[in-house]
Amino acid sequence: MGGNLCKWTISYFAAALAWLIAAEVLMVAGFGFPSADIAAPDTLVLVHMICLGWLSMAMCGALFQFVPVLVSRPLHAEGWILPAFVLLSAGLIALLAGFLALGGRMPPWLWLLPFGATLLIAGFALVAANLGLTLWQSRPLPASARFVALGLLAVCATMAFGGIFALALFEPAPGSLVSSVLASAVPIHAIAGLAGWLTVTAIGVSYRLLSMFMLAPDVDAGKSRLVWLFSAFMLGAAVIGGAVAVLVGQGLDLALMLSAACGLATLACYARDVAELYRKRKRRKLELNTRMVVWSFASLGAAVALGAVLAITGSLAAHVGALVFLIVFGWLSGLILANLYKIVPFLTWLETYGPVMGKAPTPRVHDLVAERRATKWFVMFFAASWAATALLMLGQPLGFRIAIAVIVVATFGILQELIRARRLTDVAAPLRLPAGALAPRLLITRT
Amino acid sequence: MTDRDDLIAAVRDALRNVIDPELGHNIVDLGFVYDIAIDGDVAHITMTATTPGCPAASFLKEGVASSAMQVEGIGSADVTMTFDPPWRPAMIAPEVKAELGFAELN
Ligand code: HEM
Repeated sequence: MGGNLCKWTISYFAAALAWLIAAEVLMVAGFGFPSADIAAPDTLVLVHMICLGWLSMAMCGALFQFVPVLVSRPLHAEGWILPAFVLLSAGLIALLAGFLALGGRMPPWLWLLPFGATLLIAGFALVAANLGLTLWQSRPLPASARFVALGLLAVCATMAFGGIFALALFEPAPGSLVSSVLASAVPIHAIAGLAGWLTVTAIGVSYRLLSMFMLAPDVDAGKSRLVWLFSAFMLGAAVIGGAVAVLVGQGLDLALMLSAACGLATLACYARDVAELYRKRKRRKLELNTRMVVWSFASLGAAVALGAVLAITGSLAAHVGALVFLIVFGWLSGLILANLYKIVPFLTWLETYGPVMGKAPTPRVHDLVAERRATKWFVMFFAASWAATALLMLGQPLGFRIAIAVIVVATFGILQELIRARRLTDVAAPLRLPAGALAPRLLITRT
Repeated sequence: MTDRDDLIAAVRDALRNVIDPELGHNIVDLGFVYDIAIDGDVAHITMTATTPGCPAASFLKEGVASSAMQVEGIGSADVTMTFDPPWRPAMIAPEVKAELGFAELN
């Protein structure tokens, strides 16, 4: 019964939120960028806490639940999810420790870097194989699932570069290929991770989720295929073009420009499709998640505009930190938080009330949340993310830390709303636990 | 009204205990129930859901079976989930449609 719920999705979400809050608190304390250099080991700790611990863990948790929905087929191997969780978590802790060692904050145990990288690569291999085989067995793939397939390729590329960097830092050998990759390929690694893996996957899943939540007709397959093609070129130009450029000892400029052009085309077409989904929705009244997601789209649009202005005025290098911050917080984190606010109550509802449906009266998903109360946390989160971006550009490190402190408060607020949903705190008494229903556990779904 | 019609009406009424968690209304008014037929003491129910593959769909199906079996005179229920024709908001009962804030004319 209820075999369609993934036992560990909530656990991935919980770990992800813990990493997010830990990274935010470090930022408030002034750890890493902008107090330290953008490539300093302390900054790498923050970047990977957020990119791997928060964004990637949340994305994996969501995909375990959603890929089966996208392709109407159960996951290839439910049993691989927990081992992947252990490998990813242990690998991340080792990698972070390796970065701390690199920065002299720990004894110089640089072997931690390749060790952590190996665990992370093993963990993501399990994730990618599990999801990839599920997709493979479901060919021909629906439009949204193709984006997930592309995102999985991108995460493999990200990991491959990350693994090479870890080796190069462990055993510096000036002049070797591995060292030249470290010297020049960081942008490829970052683009493959943030644009290829996280953004392309989010785009694909959003096509389906937006049409599900707003009851909008699916976007025409030809239109979403165009977005897919542009994003495939974006990724190909960055990863394959970039790798060739590194191998022949050329600069990355051409590959990155091509990639940026395809990225722009991707987002322009995607914006058109999203606007259509909102316009054609049958459910006129938007819920909190679909309202807040609009703000993350706005952040993405603002990041594109900012990136273009910086590139044209030749100040990209000076402000790349602010640009990445806006993408990571305003776009990706905002998007994921808004969706968690929908997904967590929905999964909690299914877990608790699904088994008693038809046997006893049940509340609605809507009864598990209090949108009015939650709205303020999201408003705080987005406003503070934009303020923090502006303060970075203005060179105000203290102001930036204050804005991050507001983000911490907002994140705790959202976390508390999610915990209340898991605990059914807002469900009125007679419906809360009908006969036969079991209260959900906080961190693991009962299946 | 024959006994059979009464039984069908009773089953339809019982199915109002099952709600779509997202839309928050019972599946009968939402138009998810395509057909109810009675054969002896077996209820054959054909139904749909908003999204194929949605984890809610299997719970809805089980919920429909268990509420049908609570009707006196029904011994077992045979529930078929179909997405042909796909569900459209036009299938919602008019009162409920207005309450949900659906755009008219679709
Ligand atoms: C096996 C997993 C990974 C390993 C071992 C790894 C390793 C590294 C290393 C060693 C660097 C620093 C390169 C340098 O010295 O400049 C780096 C930079 C970076 N990585 Fe990763 N990485 C991994 C996964 C990821 C993922 C999944 C993402 C994003 C989704 C990501 C995003 C970034 C970014 C944005 C930078 C640039 C940071 C900066 O310069 O401040 N990494 N990574």
